[in-house]
Amino acid sequence: MEELKQKLKEQIIEALNLQDTKPADIDDNAALFGDGLGLDSIDSLELMVLLERQYGIKVEDPREGRKILQSVQSMAEFIQSKQPA
Amino acid sequence: MKVKCYIQGMAAISPQQTFEGDITTAPFVQSDSNRLVCIEPDYKPYIPANSLRRMTRVLRMGLATALKCLSGSGVSTPGPIVTGTGKGSLQDTEKFIKEIEQYKETALNPTPFIQSTYNSVNGLIALQQNGTDYNNTFVHRGFSFENALVDSLMLLQEGATHTLTGSFEEMTPEHFYIKSRIGQWREQPVGNTHLFDASLPGTISGEGSAFFVLAAAPTPESKAAVTGIKLLYKPSLERLSAVLQELGADADLIISGANGDSNYSHYYELANQVLAAPTIPFKHLCGEYDTAGSFALWLAASLLHAGNIPADWFPMVKELPADFKKVVIYNHFFGEQHTVMVVERVSS
Repeated sequence: MEELKQKLKEQIIEALNLQDTKPADIDDNAALFGDGLGLDSIDSLELMVLLERQYGIKVEDPREGRKILQSVQSMAEFIQSKQPA
Repeated sequence: MKVKCYIQGMAAISPQQTFEGDITTAPFVQSDSNRLVCIEPDYKPYIPANSLRRMTRVLRMGLATALKCLSGSGVSTPGPIVTGTGKGSLQDTEKFIKEIEQYKETALNPTPFIQSTYNSVNGLIALQQNGTDYNNTFVHRGFSFENALVDSLMLLQEGATHTLTGSFEEMTPEHFYIKSRIGQWREQPVGNTHLFDASLPGTISGEGSAFFVLAAAPTPESKAAVTGIKLLYKPSLERLSAVLQELGADADLIISGANGDSNYSHYYELANQVLAAPTIPFKHLCGEYDTAGSFALWLAASLLHAGNIPADWFPMVKELPADFKKVVIYNHFFGEQHTVMVVERVSS
């Protein structure tokens, strides 16, 4: 799980071009949107594309997406739940 | 139609050091390459970091030029925003098209798609400046900027107090290669220092962004006045000659779009015959691109405002005129879109 979260942080930084941010700056449970990392609606679409390209997971329901993209922790848990046991 | 407006503010990003606006002290930036590349400023004072991270080059250039132009004009809200671009954001367009192929039309990033649309820069300016007025981008190859200028003149005539009018263009390595296949560029490297040494097929490519705050009425801060404009599509030599005589007979200085390309040099040679005033080129400064006319307008207004021509920028001209009040810009884009603009000093 820790390895997945670290990789996810690196992928988020690269996909969203967060130039002055390092993986260590992103708290696992901090909000990605609003007060946390300060991402916006276009970033949420970029993160959906990231999930599809990097992990082969397509999020069909936007309401589900809101929960998944709350934090790195929630994204990692979602990815793990979709991976074959 | 009344053809007169006043340039209240202007800014340009180009392959020369133009962003700070002081034409008299900036040196002529020489290049050995046939692809002139813009000298970009530090964008952080103009664009918030959270917005900057998403923008590609031409969007940064366009937005920063527009904001610099506004800040120097004393105008806080932009009013109508009217721009022209021949290609828009090529970098975003190329990325989007490549990803369509790479990911088989699935899982496409939204950002390159959104930003590849031609009116992205206008949208960004309006968002950052809270502009809710008229907002339009013209995409008409070599007429793009000039159509934006004509539209601005009509808006001013209809009652707008000022407009923010400009252009933005970028050249990518891939697009440079595509255009080289149809012979637009010189086969041998000439750069901007040897462009006019010989008249041969092809020229050098360029890019740039230029913005102007235009007003219907003059103020003590007016830099110059645009007093005439004519757009001609593939004109006959007779028609071109008549228009040049009509607009440029009493000009003191001609700014010519001559670019060393022997395929279309006969138009510029005609202009030299028709117009008696001294001529200076500008394509060695900015290269050839769809909206190079906006750089020429920035140059004309800068020269009129400064009151002299920096000799360093025009080493190929033996004798530069010491005094000039009326400048005529003649330019064409690969023989198709021909434009004539008249720019005059504003008497104080």
